[in-house]
Amino acid sequence: MSGLTTACQLAQARQKVLLIAHGIGALLLASGCIDVLGFQPADSRKPVKNPLNSLDSFLKERPDHPYHYVGRKHIEAGLEAFQRLTNHDSLDYQGSVERNWLLPSAIGALRPTCLAPASLANGDLSRGGRMLIVGFKELRDFYPALISQNLNAQDLGIQTDALTITLPPIPVADDMNVTPIELAHVFERPNFRANVVKAIGRHHKNYDRIGFPAVLGIQHHAEVIADLEKQLGKRIFEISTLPPSVPGRRLFDVLRQTFGQAEGRLIIGSKVVDGVIEKGQVRQIHFETANGLKPVTGKNYVLATGGIYGGGIQSDSDGAVGRVWEPIFDLPVEADQNRHNWFATGFLDSKGQPFAGYGVKVNDKLNPVNDSGNALAENLYIAGATIAGADWTRGRTGDGVALATASAIVEQIVG
Amino acid sequence: MTIDQSALDEITLSIWEQVQNSADLCVKCNICTSYCPVSNVTDKFPGPKFVGPQAQRFRNPFEISVDNSVDYCSGCGVCTMVCPHGVKVMEMNAKARYKLYQQKRVPIRNQLLGRSEVLGKINSPLAPLANMFLNNSLARFIVEKTVGVHRNAPLPKFSFETFRGWYNAVHQKSAKARPLEKKAVYFHGCSCNYYEPFMGKTAIAVLEHNGYEVIVPKQVCCGLPMLSNAEFEAARRNAHRNIASLAQYARAGYKIVGTSTSCTLSLKSDYRHILDIDTEDARLVAQQTYDICEFLLELDDVGELNIDFKPIEATLPYHAPCQLKAHNMGLPAVDLMEMVPGVKVRVVQADCCGIAGTYGYKKEKYDIAMKVGQPVFEQVRDSGSSIAVCDSETCRWQIGHATGVKMIHPIELLAQAYGL
Repeated sequence: MSGLTTACQLAQARQKVLLIAHGIGALLLASGCIDVLGFQPADSRKPVKNPLNSLDSFLKERPDHPYHYVGRKHIEAGLEAFQRLTNHDSLDYQGSVERNWLLPSAIGALRPTCLAPASLANGDLSRGGRMLIVGFKELRDFYPALISQNLNAQDLGIQTDALTITLPPIPVADDMNVTPIELAHVFERPNFRANVVKAIGRHHKNYDRIGFPAVLGIQHHAEVIADLEKQLGKRIFEISTLPPSVPGRRLFDVLRQTFGQAEGRLIIGSKVVDGVIEKGQVRQIHFETANGLKPVTGKNYVLATGGIYGGGIQSDSDGAVGRVWEPIFDLPVEADQNRHNWFATGFLDSKGQPFAGYGVKVNDKLNPVNDSGNALAENLYIAGATIAGADWTRGRTGDGVALATASAIVEQIVG
Repeated sequence: MTIDQSALDEITLSIWEQVQNSADLCVKCNICTSYCPVSNVTDKFPGPKFVGPQAQRFRNPFEISVDNSVDYCSGCGVCTMVCPHGVKVMEMNAKARYKLYQQKRVPIRNQLLGRSEVLGKINSPLAPLANMFLNNSLARFIVEKTVGVHRNAPLPKFSFETFRGWYNAVHQKSAKARPLEKKAVYFHGCSCNYYEPFMGKTAIAVLEHNGYEVIVPKQVCCGLPMLSNAEFEAARRNAHRNIASLAQYARAGYKIVGTSTSCTLSLKSDYRHILDIDTEDARLVAQQTYDICEFLLELDDVGELNIDFKPIEATLPYHAPCQLKAHNMGLPAVDLMEMVPGVKVRVVQADCCGIAGTYGYKKEKYDIAMKVGQPVFEQVRDSGSSIAVCDSETCRWQIGHATGVKMIHPIELLAQAYGL
């Protein structure tokens, strides 16, 4: 998210951009929504209503969080830039940084998020009313009864019921292992949709809204929703599923296309192996090609390789002590090098897992810094989860950090 | 079940780990399946995750193959490209397909498609006759029914004059062939030799225009068509012959330049990563191999590219073939073409044209290939241009067949700009 959105904005600002990606990023593993601040304090069970209003108290509690470097200005600018980049027929992001949607998750938990595609935003639980959650017998990991019972148990002023239907025959090779993406493809066929509507029968009559797993089309998503709403006569919404994420796919496809149209160059499947820093500047980086390393030289470099989860920060638990490092430039990291301190005892510890916040130390300009706070390379910028303290599992700030750091970096590079 | 011991002997542990063991890196996120061009259009292929890393757990070198669906993998490599975890899915599938066909005979049709060189040797001297035969719809119907090559598949025309024949008999005797200090080796591949000799002539003209003496050493088919049709032993034999012939030039520091992206990818990577040939010579040849546009662009990087281009006013759609993307070198052709004043390139925003080497020629796969290529065809058609550009020959034949648009290689445009 941070790499692709930075690259898109730079390319649109007429910069010559080369984006080297080790495979497709995490968008297909994400919900497709933009989380800015969901819980404050992080272990609170009560979702944040207005992220901007809660920002000050959040920053007080998390003095190491990347929001400190970019501030409110870039959180807002980052979201605005995202809205501009995703202004596309198949996407319709709704919301603002001053209000969280309250969306149901695939297990019926509450998911506070700032921007959501219209089809997901329509599931906002604060609207109340009666909802029917529809699932398919063939789609694993999406259980309407679980979602419905969990939602009903949370005293949200809504009432939900569950319906699991058997899908019409699916033209996929292995219908025991159908993925959300495969279903999204078949939902683009009018005949298939007509059969789904038939299978729902009259079960939906007494509800205000009908929730489906987020599999309602990819390219022709808007058309699929409109058609189902017409046939069922009700407002429809989607609930993000387990990966691969269809809303994430819709977003990735649009961003990739936007980047290409802005004449950005993309190498997917390669990996930047190392970089040369001399006299406070990155001079060159090397990336893997089919037959060896190739150098590439640029004016500015943006490191958006993710944190511990994304591989941008590496760890090795061999030996008694352990090691945490940034693999490309070997930048100084904010991390406990003793492996005995990496983990909290409980998997879902209320204070989070220490390792999840390990990352590169930066200054206000998002340049990497040494222990005394001096910039190591002024033409190298660190984006998103690679920055120390960005632990997105706590407080749900991941997309906000990605977009705000992207905005701050773009401002510095193009002015 | 027999094990090809010679193959095992050549395997170094690191390579073995890179492909087969990369299955352990798979977290089952299904990103590969989400982007697989084939599983997205057919129910015959369950997708790369299932057939690749998932089935890999059940693959034991000493047991029989676990499933047949791997035959529907086109080998385009989009899965390996999009995997964020470093799983070599396509390479795993290629090896699994080899295993599958060790248990049963490789069909004659696949053997034939894998031997473009043999077909060329037989048919090139009979080109007018062979082309007439292949142009005849009744003949093609019979070929489909008997051999299994789809009647509408875009078969290229044989050339009566081979590239090597021209090079030895005409070019080497002309004034153009003079010794120069800078030398490059040209790997022409079968398509240039037997179907499109003009491609080699153009390449030589462009290289000579940049001050290079072009050497065309002995060479055989790169082996990729055999590799992708599960004939690893035959592909390995060719690989060894090419390495033996090219290594001396690589050792002398000459660059080996090719116009066919799939041939150059074989030399650069497939010999080592799929055929497990990891000798010093193989590494050396791999290191010195260049796609022609990559080579020319590197000349430009050091200020040695001849840039006396005449302007050409054109906006051209360009499709980057899967095999080119697997070079992981970006799109040198685009930068190069845009150095010609007036040329604007529009990169097609789609993954695969469907043909995937010989995949789309097979009667049971032709329709799949045409469906896979739909987004590419649409963008090329919608561009309104009567010419489109693509580096790979089979992709050019496929896109040309589907759209009716004239397809050229990037260096054809350069040659025109040079006035050659």
